[in-house]
Amino acid sequence: MSAEMANEIKLISGRSHPELSDKIAKRLGIEVARTISLNYSNQETSFTVGESVRDEDVFIVQSTATGDVNEGLMELLIMISACRTASARRITAVIPNFPYARQDKKDKSRAPISARLVANMLQTAGANHIVTVDLHASQIQGFFSVPVDNLYAEPSFLRYIRENFNPEDCVIVSPDAGGAKRATSIADHLNTAFALIHKERPRPNVVGRMVLVGNVEDKVAILVDDMADTCGTLVKAAAVLKENGAKSVLALVTHGILSGNAIETLNGSVLTALVVTNTVPLGDKVQRCPKLRVIDISPTVAEAIRRTHNGESVSYLFTHAPV
Amino acid sequence: MRGTLIFSGTSCPSLTKQICENLGMAPAEAELTQFSNGETSVRILTSVREKDVFVVQSGSPKINDTIMELLIMISACKGGSASKVTAVLPYFPYSRQSKKKSHRGAITARMLANLLGVAGVKHIVTVDLHASQMQGFFKCPVDNLHAEPLIARWIRHNVPDWKEAVVVSKNAGGTKRVTSLADALKLNFGMVTTDKRRGHNMTASMIMNHLDGIERQPVLDPISNQVRTTSTEPEKEATNAQSQDSRVVADGQGSPRPAANGTCARSASNPKPHHTRSQTTLSQSSVIDELDEEAEGDELEFNDQRAAEVIHGRLVQGHIVPDDFVSPAESVAGTEIPDEDPMVMSHASSFFAPQSHALGGSGDAEASSDEEEEILKPKVEHMITLVGDVKGRSVFIVDDMIDKPGSWIAAAETVRKRGKAEKVYCIATHGVFGGDCLEQMQACDCIDTIVVTNSYPIPEEKARKASKLVVLDLSFLLAEAIRRNHYGESMSPLFQHVLDS
Repeated sequence: MSAEMANEIKLISGRSHPELSDKIAKRLGIEVARTISLNYSNQETSFTVGESVRDEDVFIVQSTATGDVNEGLMELLIMISACRTASARRITAVIPNFPYARQDKKDKSRAPISARLVANMLQTAGANHIVTVDLHASQIQGFFSVPVDNLYAEPSFLRYIRENFNPEDCVIVSPDAGGAKRATSIADHLNTAFALIHKERPRPNVVGRMVLVGNVEDKVAILVDDMADTCGTLVKAAAVLKENGAKSVLALVTHGILSGNAIETLNGSVLTALVVTNTVPLGDKVQRCPKLRVIDISPTVAEAIRRTHNGESVSYLFTHAPV
Repeated sequence: MRGTLIFSGTSCPSLTKQICENLGMAPAEAELTQFSNGETSVRILTSVREKDVFVVQSGSPKINDTIMELLIMISACKGGSASKVTAVLPYFPYSRQSKKKSHRGAITARMLANLLGVAGVKHIVTVDLHASQMQGFFKCPVDNLHAEPLIARWIRHNVPDWKEAVVVSKNAGGTKRVTSLADALKLNFGMVTTDKRRGHNMTASMIMNHLDGIERQPVLDPISNQVRTTSTEPEKEATNAQSQDSRVVADGQGSPRPAANGTCARSASNPKPHHTRSQTTLSQSSVIDELDEEAEGDELEFNDQRAAEVIHGRLVQGHIVPDDFVSPAESVAGTEIPDEDPMVMSHASSFFAPQSHALGGSGDAEASSDEEEEILKPKVEHMITLVGDVKGRSVFIVDDMIDKPGSWIAAAETVRKRGKAEKVYCIATHGVFGGDCLEQMQACDCIDTIVVTNSYPIPEEKARKASKLVVLDLSFLLAEAIRRNHYGESMSPLFQHVLDS
């Protein structure tokens, strides 16, 4: 009988990104569930749900703050496990930026496929469903045996470009060959030109020589990528575009991880703006970097939660950004 | 050992090195770093194909990073076609969260067991699990080694009058652990328990205080202050003198210096185990809550007399029920124990507040059954009770780990001030020493020696400053466990006490 009874959305927030959870909750017109998260004196994480989740549809929102990835991940796992133990009907992990997404292949001998490990861990903890945004590689969805909804920031980006620029003046640029698909998709939607920068990468987080393929002269060059970490690539690419005659250069990036000296690097670069979504908590970075603009992704995530709960199709969100 | 690789996590390189030295091999090479965004990076620098791989990882202040690193290392070795991956965890993280202690809390230890399973571990070697039931969380075999033989050995070799000593549990939950050591050494055992029942007991302890003539400020006075003022100077000097030479680092065998008295200290020759045991453990005939009727002077006498009447002392031990086992033996108004962490967790469900984060960043990792719960409620007065005669004897206060100092100091002060114990040894397997625990215990006049193993890494500088600290070496035990695992030999001998010379 209970299976037919209507249940409710329980939105649970981890400690990594409460602002995003609050926005999602506001959007859904509900309150974030009461919880207690704390660290013991030996730094072990402890979590307790403050209200009943029995037979409810639980959504756990946890991003991973830069520098505290493992902390956030363990907390997420413990939260999932606690809800599972507390008889939740379904547990959906809403992970806007999937941790360890870049360690998704065995590119060297004995390299760990940590993304698959994380996928297995989430399922072991008891997640029934995953909602995420712009996975580094869509193949990560295949690491799960539960459904994964990979949302796109693209519709939000398209709107941003349309609102702020004349698409005819723009060239969409991919900073590397791997991101060409993402960039061409945006270029197609806007009906604009497309360019690509080829880079040699001797080691991770180290960028070698860069070659521009395509024409950016007297255009607004828009770099598109899924994540901005140390920003070395973006800044070098921007310089290359500038050298090739671009009027101005900005970057549209889904996940603003911005670790290390990213802010300083950005401030000293030729980029006019770095536009990111709020999938990752940015803290005081917006204050420290005048070039940083933030697009709110919470409407898309909230809508995905609502549709998932009601059993509606999520496809609409792949092409449209809810207002 | 052929076909074996031992990897070390970042938490315990020195322990791994010692283990490898014992086995006559070098630790396998791996590069463990973090990416700039905080993700853990693991590179296994040597071939693991068809190898028997052991990964050693303990706890650290960045416990979640440590766990992720372990999981990724296991996963990398499995992905690199290792024939078998064994996790060697001298200290099992999250082992205290092994049950649902509040509504809707997580059983994190079980989850961690499952996570190790999906990462690809085929075998677990660990030491003194907080609850041995945790072995049931794993689908793979678990070897839960005991540090007890090592500790017993240390006691026999380093405590001059150990045969007369008393092993004391500082809470009811740890009684079983304590009786086990007491059995091994054929010693008497006692127990310190803090009364959790509030209300009527508060009056009881207040009356006790009154009778004791302790000048007592209102309920908010922390016991440490009180004790410091009452402790006498000569006692302090004695403590200091003792602590000068008390720091001993034991060798792989756990015996630093086979002292002359070690040879005569054969526990097998102890003539009076059963009889004395029954004397110190009081029966349930003790009248609960009527102790306030008795004056303290009479009480001691009465205690001995009554204890002698008990015949089935040994049997009683097995059935000690913490809440009912209140005895008039020696009562202390244990009272208020300073507690830096407002820990309301275990009762959280009853008074939930929306601003949960206001609870602060840390709480007490609540532990086995009842322990430390008394310290959870600051500003509430408790009664601490000592069961057993420790007068003029050395006392070993034993538990599985030292994390927070509160209960240790309370217990030490109880046996020293009330029980008139001569020397107090705090003994535990895992020296987690959260916060400034080690400093506080070092500063406590009632503690003479702190004995732990190197299962949990203690920062060298911290250890150097703590003159009372003795660190026993586990590497021999772990190395032997690894060797026996690899060759498929029995583990049982590692659990036995060796009555060595």
